[in-house]
Amino acid sequence: MKQAAVWMSMNLALGALLCACDAIRPPADQSVGGALVEVAVFEGGYGIGWHQKIAQQFNDERRAQGVQVSLWGDPRVQDKIKPRLLRRDPPDLLLMHQLPFWLLVSAGKVLPLDEALNQPAYGAEKPWRECFLPGMLQSYTSGGKVYAVPSSLGAWACWYDARLFREHGWSVPSTWGEFESLCERIQEAGIAPLAFQGKYPRYAWFTLTALIQRCGGLAAINRDNRMDAGAFSHPDVVRAAGLLQSLAVRFFQPGAMAMTHTESQLQFVNNRAAMIFCGLWLVNEMKATIPAGFEMRCFNVPLVEEGKGNPNLFNGMGLEYVFVPTDARHPKEAADFARYLVSPRNAPDMGRSIGVISPLRGGTPRDTVGPPLQSALDMIERAQGFFNDRLSDLMLAWDNQVMQPNLAALLRGAMTPEAFGAALDAGIAAARRNPDLVIPEYLPFDPVAFGETP
Amino acid sequence: MTERTSQRVFAGVFLAPAFFLFTGFVALPGARALLYSLQKWDGLGRAEWIGLENFARLFQQGDLFLKALGHNLFIMGAAGSSVIGLALLFAALLHRRIRGAQLFRVAFFFPNVIAAVAVALLWVLLYSTTHFGIVNAFLAQVQSGCHALGWTWPNWRLPVPFLDSRFLIYSVVPMIIWEVTGFYMVLFLAAMEGIPESYYEAAKLDGATGFQQFRHITLPLIREVLTVGLVFLMISTLKFFDAIWVMENQTPTRDSHVLATLLYQKVFTEYNVGYGSAVAVCLFVLVFLGTLVSLRLSRAERIEY
Repeated sequence: MKQAAVWMSMNLALGALLCACDAIRPPADQSVGGALVEVAVFEGGYGIGWHQKIAQQFNDERRAQGVQVSLWGDPRVQDKIKPRLLRRDPPDLLLMHQLPFWLLVSAGKVLPLDEALNQPAYGAEKPWRECFLPGMLQSYTSGGKVYAVPSSLGAWACWYDARLFREHGWSVPSTWGEFESLCERIQEAGIAPLAFQGKYPRYAWFTLTALIQRCGGLAAINRDNRMDAGAFSHPDVVRAAGLLQSLAVRFFQPGAMAMTHTESQLQFVNNRAAMIFCGLWLVNEMKATIPAGFEMRCFNVPLVEEGKGNPNLFNGMGLEYVFVPTDARHPKEAADFARYLVSPRNAPDMGRSIGVISPLRGGTPRDTVGPPLQSALDMIERAQGFFNDRLSDLMLAWDNQVMQPNLAALLRGAMTPEAFGAALDAGIAAARRNPDLVIPEYLPFDPVAFGETP
Repeated sequence: MTERTSQRVFAGVFLAPAFFLFTGFVALPGARALLYSLQKWDGLGRAEWIGLENFARLFQQGDLFLKALGHNLFIMGAAGSSVIGLALLFAALLHRRIRGAQLFRVAFFFPNVIAAVAVALLWVLLYSTTHFGIVNAFLAQVQSGCHALGWTWPNWRLPVPFLDSRFLIYSVVPMIIWEVTGFYMVLFLAAMEGIPESYYEAAKLDGATGFQQFRHITLPLIREVLTVGLVFLMISTLKFFDAIWVMENQTPTRDSHVLATLLYQKVFTEYNVGYGSAVAVCLFVLVFLGTLVSLRLSRAERIEY
């Protein structure tokens, strides 16, 4: 009997211990008469110093109303957030990019931001919604509701060292033919034309998306994003894949397929390779390693001869999006802070402080960023708009098991462009048979509005 | 309280912490994983009971699971046999008290004390296709040396992309051998040191060669430790994860997946908790069966002296 009592009490003690672990969570802060808004931020190459500065500024302005923001960041913030989302105790506002956004939306875990978007923007006399670059909110819209807003603008470009180009008499190409000729001249000079982040074949996906637009126009991008049957076997896509393959096989630095992004980007900044395709984050990512005299500049993916796409458009996207979880304790205050953080008032300071281009129209004045990002701004200003692919974010298994391995095979020359397109189409058809796949409605890019003939 | 009861309570007090910890942190989560494997769950919404569908999908969705399992078995076969062979060889040599035995013992064991992630990062540098890569630099020297002698061979396409997904499973084999051989060597050496020297003296008097002594005295008498080593090796190669995850920068492909990376990717990057748990259950069954078979084999013909 006593033995049973001992065992039972020990079991109870264990149960109590486990319950106590679950109970240790921040208390709902209603006692101070205001709201303590918890904001979790992905701490990447830009750090969180600027975000904390803005939070402090916000707190100073809201002290009288009793609204205070507590902002923290972590490079693995998504891993810390997942269990909190599950136990319905998330931070009030999240700024990150590594959560399965559409899974969260379909599970009802994200609140629409439309109410905040219809309010005036901080630092402008128009609704917050109207301050964003055209198309910027499209990626976060479903059923007419906007579930997130990006905090920065990403654009895909080809980077080069202007000093190296000047020394060798090379000039920026405007057509794909000129680009290939340039690569040949660089090779003749004993330098690898292109560095490539081969351990992440996904990097080439952005270049391929741009080439698809150059070859087939926005109609081709729309076909792919809508997942039309045979979209990737279309001659425009096959042509784009062929151009990319030829580039990779002939001009990628030897051994590139085994290089990480840092290795390949170091090859570029050390002039072992003359160019590299990358997003705008390259400037920040490599700033500590750029040697003196290196003049990092970028140009858009060149026009493809006889292509249907407007060559001024760029492959762009909103990055590091901000959203309010459904279970947030202070959703209104959180949305208000989001509106404050991504605002015309604070955008120029973001460019100046951390070199990030704002997703807001005219949000990053030219003088707030250095010459590398100024060249990116030139590219952005020349464009009527931007386009992007949405499949890799929507179909996670397709991205991992189909797109990336087949893209790697294409780049190695182990697969024909036709077989590549067929493999992607077959993978999409298989993925679509999964009844659980969440596919939000697609708002197509309008070719006419973007300067293309339909 | 009788003496027998008080002994039981006394034993219970000592066993309780381990029992509770094992129950709370191994048995219950294990049972939960088994439950997840029978459900469709993205880790965010509501779970739905689907029976054995996840297990059926393991064999239906392409050949991803079988590919990953094949990679585990390849590592087990290629790295495992090399590790056991080399560990036995080195242990036998050290047991013979060759010159510098102490130094070799420390040197061979040293890689085993380095964290697995650090070992992987070290080999990433060794295999690098940039100018940091010692292996490629060595191959380039060999090739140019041979060509300088007028030979037409070798004609390698350098640098060799050892870390390319296609070659990664082969590239991790030397790393595993380097990393763990020392541990098994020490394990076998400890067993060898327990064999009475008189057996070897008698064998020598009978004219047995060194190899015959090893074959007929050493091997049979360390059989149980050898079996333990094989079980360890089998479990560790089936659970193999760190190096692939690090060398593939958290994005393994079907060319480089092993079961543990597949499990992780399915659960934490594709949010398919049910499928990932089904992989985990299969992994558990494989390890369990393998261990049972190994232990059963080791019990046959027990030799005592």
